[in-house]
Amino acid sequence: MTGPKRALLWCAGLALAAATVTYPLYANGYYLALGISVLYFTILATAWAMFSGPTRYISLATVAFFGLGAYTAAVLGETMPWPVVLLAAAGVGAFTAAITGLSTLRLSGIYFVIFSFGLAELIRQLVIWYEVNIHKSVGRYLFSAVTQDILYWQLLGLTAIVFLVGWLLGRSRYGLALRAIGADETAASHSGIDATRVKLGVFILSATFMAVTGAVMAPRWTYIDPAIAFNPTISFQVVIMALLGGAGSLFGPVLGVIPLVLLFEVLSATLPNHFSIVLGLIFVLIVMVLPNGVIGLFGTGRWRVPTGGPVAARAGTSDAPLLAVEGVSKSFSGLRAVDDVSFKVAPGEIVGIIGPNGSGKTTLLNTLSGALKPSSGTIRFGGIVLNGLRAHQIARLGLARTFQLVRVMPDLTVAENVAAAQLFSTSNGSSATASELLDLVGLGTVHAAPAGDLTYIDQKRLELARALALQPRLVLLDEWLAGLNPSELETGIALIAKLRDRGFTIIMVEHVMDAIRALCGHCIVMNAGCVIARGGPDEVLSDPKVVAAYLGDDDA
Amino acid sequence: MLLVDIVLPGLVLGGMYALIALGLTLQYGVARIMNLSYGESLVAAAFGAFSLYSGLGLSPLAALLLAVPVAMVVNWLLYRFLLERLMRRSKDRGAQEIDSILVTFGVLFVIQGAMLVAFGGQYYSYSYLSIPLTIMGSTLAVNRLVALLFAALVGGAVYLALTRTRIGTAVRAIAVDANAARLVGIDVAALSGLAFAFGGGLVAVGGVLVSMFLTFNAAMGVIFTMKALVVVIMGGVGNVMGALVAGLLLGVVETAVARLVDPGLTLAATYALFLGVLLIRPTGLFGRAAS
Amino acid sequence: MFSANRRTLLRATGLVAAVLGALASTAEAQEKIRIGYAISKTGPYAGGAGITTLPNYELWVKDVNAAGGIKLGDKKLPIEVVEYDDRSSSEEAVKAIERLANQDKVDFILSPWGTGLNLAVGPTLNRLGYPHLAVTSVTDKAPELAKRWSNATFWLGTSAQISQALADLLGKLRSEGKIGANIAMVSIADQFGIELSAAGREAFKKHGFTLAYDKTYPMGTQDLQPLVKDAIASNPDAFVAFSYPPDTIALTEQAQLLKFNPKIFYVGVGTAFPLYKGKFAANSEGVMGIGGWNADSPRLKDYLARHKAATGKEPDRWASSITYASLQVLQQAIEKVGKLDRAAVAAEIRSGTFDTIIGKVKLKDGLLQEVWSVGQWQNGEFYALAPASLSGARTPVVPKAQWQ
Repeated sequence: MTGPKRALLWCAGLALAAATVTYPLYANGYYLALGISVLYFTILATAWAMFSGPTRYISLATVAFFGLGAYTAAVLGETMPWPVVLLAAAGVGAFTAAITGLSTLRLSGIYFVIFSFGLAELIRQLVIWYEVNIHKSVGRYLFSAVTQDILYWQLLGLTAIVFLVGWLLGRSRYGLALRAIGADETAASHSGIDATRVKLGVFILSATFMAVTGAVMAPRWTYIDPAIAFNPTISFQVVIMALLGGAGSLFGPVLGVIPLVLLFEVLSATLPNHFSIVLGLIFVLIVMVLPNGVIGLFGTGRWRVPTGGPVAARAGTSDAPLLAVEGVSKSFSGLRAVDDVSFKVAPGEIVGIIGPNGSGKTTLLNTLSGALKPSSGTIRFGGIVLNGLRAHQIARLGLARTFQLVRVMPDLTVAENVAAAQLFSTSNGSSATASELLDLVGLGTVHAAPAGDLTYIDQKRLELARALALQPRLVLLDEWLAGLNPSELETGIALIAKLRDRGFTIIMVEHVMDAIRALCGHCIVMNAGCVIARGGPDEVLSDPKVVAAYLGDDDA
Repeated sequence: MLLVDIVLPGLVLGGMYALIALGLTLQYGVARIMNLSYGESLVAAAFGAFSLYSGLGLSPLAALLLAVPVAMVVNWLLYRFLLERLMRRSKDRGAQEIDSILVTFGVLFVIQGAMLVAFGGQYYSYSYLSIPLTIMGSTLAVNRLVALLFAALVGGAVYLALTRTRIGTAVRAIAVDANAARLVGIDVAALSGLAFAFGGGLVAVGGVLVSMFLTFNAAMGVIFTMKALVVVIMGGVGNVMGALVAGLLLGVVETAVARLVDPGLTLAATYALFLGVLLIRPTGLFGRAAS
Repeated sequence: MFSANRRTLLRATGLVAAVLGALASTAEAQEKIRIGYAISKTGPYAGGAGITTLPNYELWVKDVNAAGGIKLGDKKLPIEVVEYDDRSSSEEAVKAIERLANQDKVDFILSPWGTGLNLAVGPTLNRLGYPHLAVTSVTDKAPELAKRWSNATFWLGTSAQISQALADLLGKLRSEGKIGANIAMVSIADQFGIELSAAGREAFKKHGFTLAYDKTYPMGTQDLQPLVKDAIASNPDAFVAFSYPPDTIALTEQAQLLKFNPKIFYVGVGTAFPLYKGKFAANSEGVMGIGGWNADSPRLKDYLARHKAATGKEPDRWASSITYASLQVLQQAIEKVGKLDRAAVAAEIRSGTFDTIIGKVKLKDGLLQEVWSVGQWQNGEFYALAPASLSGARTPVVPKAQWQ
């Protein structure tokens, strides 16, 4: 953009900002009321999208926090100074969100949607019960001198804050972490992201804004009762506006708020008796022609990717085993999928785990990476006991993995997939950046493409790069070579060999025996959950017990 | 006896909850349409029954013969010309859910608007089969018993149809994984449309039957939508038995709390039960484990 | 920054669009009197607004225009209506008032339905200086509100008045030996039910009654049988329910099913609706409820006929006639003032004496004092019983006949 043009844009921007701030000075009461509607839905929808956009948890609990805020204002409004009231509302909102978030965020999909609605209703019922039985009155009166001007400016200030916070969040590592969780929570956890804490934090943040909005709006209505404060249509309107505008970006929701508020307004004025029908038809039409929300018309802006986290193999040099597995078992309601398995992995070694399908290999890997908790036994990694640690904690210790059924985060770009794994890295060592890693696995040219668009083999490569971005001391590869054609296989084996040469320690579960022979110094053979043989590849592959396991007992 | 006096009325109330939820198990659980206009369709059926009863003197039970086919056709058309496009357009289930929420939100307004134009905002109510029947010392209304009976019969029939017939198996396959179902030669669009239409027929059954004993107006749809969603989710999405059990459970708990604790806490108790179930079993009583 | 600009820009264009959309009509030289209202056509309040408020607004406008309009000086100006739907939302109601005042520049604004919405628009109407006829708001704060907002008037009495009148009536029946001392009371967990039951509790005690059963239930309860059963178990002489229309119907239905025949059967809002008579027919006989009117009055008979002819439905027997009367008061106040001076009209409404379908109306401190609180279905009409001090009060039929 050229200098003068940019200056012109800045001037226009400043003029518009000034026009927005001074709006109450020249708008009449009605336009001011309209502005208030736009602002208050903007705050709610933006706050909603802050959490629900990236994670895709469609929450219908907006009005629970809004209503609590309104009630806080109604209870304290006439006795406390206004800033204290707002702070109290924020506190009540955050506190409730923390408690409820802890229990609800493990639900997913539609279960979360309806749960959040149930939550709003439960809170409303409890408030009613309290008011009826303890306060002996359900309605609260709040007489205040707040004029429309002051209300508008309060809301405008809050709007500015919500956008600022949203923008900062988007730039911070928590923003990318949140999107990674939304794309694939399991993959995110194994990339070292503490999914629960990130989700909870942003949920609380979003709820706080909703509660403060409720508190700001309450004095306008003089009279607050649960039906007004906890009106469920507010939750629905917010969801609809945010989704219509585009919940995936910071400024998407406001693009849904403005047209909808105006549409409601124009229709209710021109067609008061057929308002519902026309609105419904227009709405259906909009959804049919705007599949990506209003923001889709402008082309979705990509989020900023924090670049650079240093990456390297943190290969140990000592002879002490990097991983020591002792008597690990895992049962699923009586079925012992892994039965008393013990083995050790020295730094710099490639260990192969082989065995027929269903012999417990992947379950074993899952207990190592924290996806499953072992029923018994001990796992030590670099001297630290892993039992009971969660996936993201284990990942941060430097134990990375890929998945048998490839798991990339499809909506994030290739580069973002890798960057997500570097967000919470605790190591300071450095030798490879994200782009170096992508070059290493052969994806250097497609770093800006959405991961979901990659071919199967490229997704596997990406998964490997993401695992390496954790600067792992140990990489678990779960049938990483499965499904490759002969020439791809050759490249794949060469790639793993390259990693070995760089000093990475690797455990690979594999069916491709050529690869096992070419790469592994040591093998473990499993059958029916037990280790039935161990040793060099050629040695175990000729073991009669192993042959029997692969071909069936009858032939032994 | 207090126990009988709690359990029987509780079951009757729960039968109504199950009845209004049955259609949604098919529409959401199988056809994958998160239908926000569900309650409005139910109220529309109630208005239909009311008009037939007060205008022509037609019994609501006879009205079912008319209302159900009409509802099925309307819902099939709705699926065929509106929802199917959305289903085809979106790649993953999440996007389908969002699109279906948005578009049925529009449909909600259309139905509600049409009812407002036709009937205004007032309350409507009429009496049919409001006859007491005493069972084991507990007095129940026949019309509510009929609703329970229908819930059990229709629920059972749908359950058998889904588990014992070829089409039913195909429909369940779609519910589990539409893409995989397509791969094994199941006509997903046609069967989803069928399931949606059938769900619409069940909504009509619910609407006609509850109109016999509930007072309703054009603005009340959302209450039924939410109640149905709670029941469906609590039972496990797409699981007809789950919806029946969840509905009955909610009814019994509500009645028990009203009699034994405090009628003021009934709704709080049902929501607490619902939330509690989800916390212990995140995919509902009969839901499949989350993948 | 950039995006913030875009937002502002969009808002600005949006406003232009709204202006274009709202270019309905602006008042020209006074040929008409513009009257606006926002009413709940959708949402949870639509049920109440649809029976009590909206039909009477429409009927009144029709009646006035049929008579040539409102007399202003020496000419009659017809009424032109601007109407919106507040969608049962406080915020929408406030916005609609601003719109009526600032955009449509209406001469007078009629009130929304319900306590919540009337209180929400109260400050705005007060600031803008429009007379506020808050007919359908029942609150114990009414006297205080009338003091705070000099433009506002309240027409249905306070909750305390309603409960007091009921308690007085029951007390009198008891002293006459017609009923015993046991009362079972249920109330809805909404401000209305709570205020009424709180006032009732006190008033009943004062008259020496025992509350054998006293419970609240949440809004949206689908099955009230448990309450009725426990009420029966308390063996009351009078059953009192401060309920909303769907519950009023459901409670009556359950009472019939369970053959619950207390000497007094009193249910809340909805008893006075034609729906109630339509549904229960002969069984409505003897049921008491909130409201009531002097059905023998020729004016009300005439009103009933006109209401039926104009809207196709009968009015309810509580707030409908008062709503219509409040509009007559507005009209007469405008005519007395003789010009569209809203402050003067508001003052006239408070101080003047008016002749309406409910008889002579004279407000005291902004409140209508002579309000019927208890009515009873007798021979297919909902006659007013209490307060007995008002002229036209009927004698209650006690005990109520058994359900058929």
